[in-house]
Amino acid sequence: MYNLWTTFSAALAQLWSGDPLLWGIVAVSFSVSASALLIALLPALTTGFMLAYFRFPGRWAAISVLNSLLAVPTVVVGLVLYMLLSRAGPLGDLNLLFTRPAMIIGQILLCFPLLVAMSLSAFQAADHRVLETAKTLGASPWQAFVTLLFEVRFALLAAVVTAFGRIIAEVGSAMMVGGNILHHTRNITTAIALETGKGEFVQGVALGIVLLTLALVLNISLGWMQSHSRVLRHGD
Amino acid sequence: MRLELNNLCQSFGDGPLFTIEHLQLSSGDAVHLHGPNGAGKSTLMKIMAGLQKPTSGQVELTPTAKESVLQQAVIYLHQHTYLFDMDVRSNVEYGLRIRREKSPQKVNQALLWAGLEHMQFRQAHVLSGGERQRLALARALVLDPALILLDEPTSNLDAESVARIEQMLQDLHRRGTGFVLSCHQDNALTKLCNQHWLLASGTLTVQA
Repeated sequence: MYNLWTTFSAALAQLWSGDPLLWGIVAVSFSVSASALLIALLPALTTGFMLAYFRFPGRWAAISVLNSLLAVPTVVVGLVLYMLLSRAGPLGDLNLLFTRPAMIIGQILLCFPLLVAMSLSAFQAADHRVLETAKTLGASPWQAFVTLLFEVRFALLAAVVTAFGRIIAEVGSAMMVGGNILHHTRNITTAIALETGKGEFVQGVALGIVLLTLALVLNISLGWMQSHSRVLRHGD
Repeated sequence: MRLELNNLCQSFGDGPLFTIEHLQLSSGDAVHLHGPNGAGKSTLMKIMAGLQKPTSGQVELTPTAKESVLQQAVIYLHQHTYLFDMDVRSNVEYGLRIRREKSPQKVNQALLWAGLEHMQFRQAHVLSGGERQRLALARALVLDPALILLDEPTSNLDAESVARIEQMLQDLHRRGTGFVLSCHQDNALTKLCNQHWLLASGTLTVQA
């Protein structure tokens, strides 16, 4: 029977020792999730802005679909992507299955609806006078959009933090389309699942500590951003 | 500079909100626009400032008629001024930054003119109602507009603040900047005006 305290101490020691295998796994997680977030960010913000400010046929249907996608399990995203990318699938020729780009695509699919939904509510909550004030002071449509982004920056940062938290902690899609290959596609969550299955808890706990620390940092940042997020209305 | 409105029609829902056959405004004019609630005063001002397209008709700026030029020459100030989430000085600099123009002297003068130089590094959202209106005017002044359109600028302001705004508008007018003032009732500001427009029942009447 393992001793919880001994395992925890050994995990801390492994983290502290700078174990290249362990930190390599952490690096895979961060690089994949950061890439997915960076790629998804601008299209998601633009989509959120368009849904908030433009009226077009199918707008409500698009919002409903996006909101529904928020609740899609990560394994379902992994399954669909696996079917698309497997050799027999329509995108099989791209040879992306079990690669980091495949993991990035999976995480883009997971964070895009979240970023759109949160940016949409940020833009909807923003004061309608922001764009008019920017325009009347000579801003072009693009400059007015950038001004609006600045005005709702804390709410958008909260969206980014939440999306990052969701994708770095997901295991379903990463496991199915990444394949959990050491030094290539093994990330924190897939490594924890693997090590736990083998009964090797030390590395799993060490990686769990990294994830929990990250969750704590993200939550503190989110709380700070939400306390700074305000929309200026009528002299507030 | 001359702003002309020709065959303007603005609809609201199925019916017309107002129609204006011809209206002309020069940079030296001081206009009091009044009328009942819902007559379309704010809409008309936004159309004049190029912020809203009319249902039909043209808004022309002589000698130039480009929309971007219209937005820089005619500045619309909301009833409740929106200040960007930055400090007072950065708010005044906003329009200049948009034009990629660096003129700290102009900004200093505008702050001094509005009596806000001592609070230039304070966050704009902490200002009082009167200070917000003064900042909005300073933010417009640095851009040397030909016309400023003020939508209910004195609502919720005390007498002292109204007197301060009155002085600033007088000064702007002396400098050759025209203005249109939307106010429900006559007050100290409306006395500065040399034209009175009544927008009611879908038509605009120029009164003596």
